[in-house]
Amino acid sequence: MAGLFERIVNLDRRWIFLIVLLSVATPIVIPIGLPVTTTGPTRAAFEFIEALHEGDVVLISFDYGPSSAPENDPMAEAVMRQCALKKLRFIVCALYPLGGLGLANNVVAKITGELPNLRDGVDYVNLGYKDGPAAVMRRMGDDIAGAFPTDVHGKPISEIPLMKGVHDLRQVKLVFTAATSLIGEWWITQVHPQVGIPVIIGPTAVSAPKYYAYLNSGQLVGMVGGMKGAAEYESLLRARYPQLATFYTTTRAFTATKGMDGQTVLHTVILLLLVLGNVAYLRQRRASAKARA
Amino acid sequence: MHPPEIGVWIAAFLTIACLTFLYKDNPFFRFAESLFAGVSLGYYVGIVLNQTLLPNLIAPMREHFGQNWDLVVPGLLGVLLYMRYAPKIGWVSRYALAIYVTYYIGLDFTRRIHGEVLPQLARAIQPLSSFDRATFFSLVYVLGVFSVLVYFFFSKEQGPITRRISRLGIWFLMISFGAAFGFTVMGRVALLIGRLNFLILDWIYPTLGI
Repeated sequence: MAGLFERIVNLDRRWIFLIVLLSVATPIVIPIGLPVTTTGPTRAAFEFIEALHEGDVVLISFDYGPSSAPENDPMAEAVMRQCALKKLRFIVCALYPLGGLGLANNVVAKITGELPNLRDGVDYVNLGYKDGPAAVMRRMGDDIAGAFPTDVHGKPISEIPLMKGVHDLRQVKLVFTAATSLIGEWWITQVHPQVGIPVIIGPTAVSAPKYYAYLNSGQLVGMVGGMKGAAEYESLLRARYPQLATFYTTTRAFTATKGMDGQTVLHTVILLLLVLGNVAYLRQRRASAKARA
Repeated sequence: MHPPEIGVWIAAFLTIACLTFLYKDNPFFRFAESLFAGVSLGYYVGIVLNQTLLPNLIAPMREHFGQNWDLVVPGLLGVLLYMRYAPKIGWVSRYALAIYVTYYIGLDFTRRIHGEVLPQLARAIQPLSSFDRATFFSLVYVLGVFSVLVYFFFSKEQGPITRRISRLGIWFLMISFGAAFGFTVMGRVALLIGRLNFLILDWIYPTLGI
């Protein structure tokens, strides 16, 4: 036994990398389908959108890049699906420079592929990307067309039916920002005080803890934190919209719910490794103390 | 099931090249790293030109110069920034930089006050007239903020009381670091899940015809 613990303490870390790889890959090949429990911030976000009325306008901002797409993509897709099924009109924009627009285009293409009744310019509009997020947000608070004179295809805003009557963010009922960086925070700390618009954030798990302060202060109406939050959102959508229940269980594409299988398995493995490593370390320390005595 | 396209093969190669660093540093990883940096820069230049400069500056001035002549000013300021590459007139770029910095200071100043300081203070300081769950947690937050501030107060040597308060501050810090670390692990694992999903579902399965 002592030899085993000694080997654990001196284990080449690349064996741990291999264990991590296998722990994550196995549930992808053999899905487990573990249940997902929902938390308050995600339910608040979901119910806020559910309470909006048909035809209300929601802004979905893609403030993340490919480096956090596995976390942010599923939440952006889920919110867009909910908006489409609730018959809310949605404006899409991207303020993250490295890939935000590409991801926005991908998600819009995916959702409009699933729901072909959605009409570009009527039910949704993709405004594209603009550089300098803080200045863009400031301008959108006063005049959206000032920041985005055209949509992503170069069509002037004045010719887009959805944008009739939507002059600035005061006519928008909600901002949902899927965010990986400070840009998401600026919607809360800059735009919310400027125009009073409710904000829901979908941050990466790394930045989720800091947003609890904004939730507690009422500056956020909800939060979909990381892959776990996205899986919760998918779970709420499945429960409310039966047509999506079929989609989420049959699609081969990646969903946050499937991702949580890997999360759970790997977290269990990490916890086991933590316990083993600590036990081995404590035994080694005790043995060396005895030897000194 | 269609076999994967060439783009998927390239992405799979680059993903594996990045993951090989976990074994040890190697030329494949270095190649992928350099390629990523170069492509990112090229993409950024292209997207700013196509999505910002063209629709917001060039097209309005070209099509309706009479209505948009004022855009000459920000356009010139942007050009001035590049004057730093001409040593003799490099000082001119400082004017553009000064305006740029001043704009963001003004924006950030109000953002900090109205978006962070005031709302957070208002939420943290709750009336004690009625004691409920919210009041209890408010007191915990106030205690946490106070003790952490005492821990970071280095201007005076700590006495027996302040030492105990700062010790409490360390506990608050450790709990918040623990929560942040837990979320960080989850975030990093999510990225690995995303890459492995791509490798297995979009590359390996279609290649094997599964």
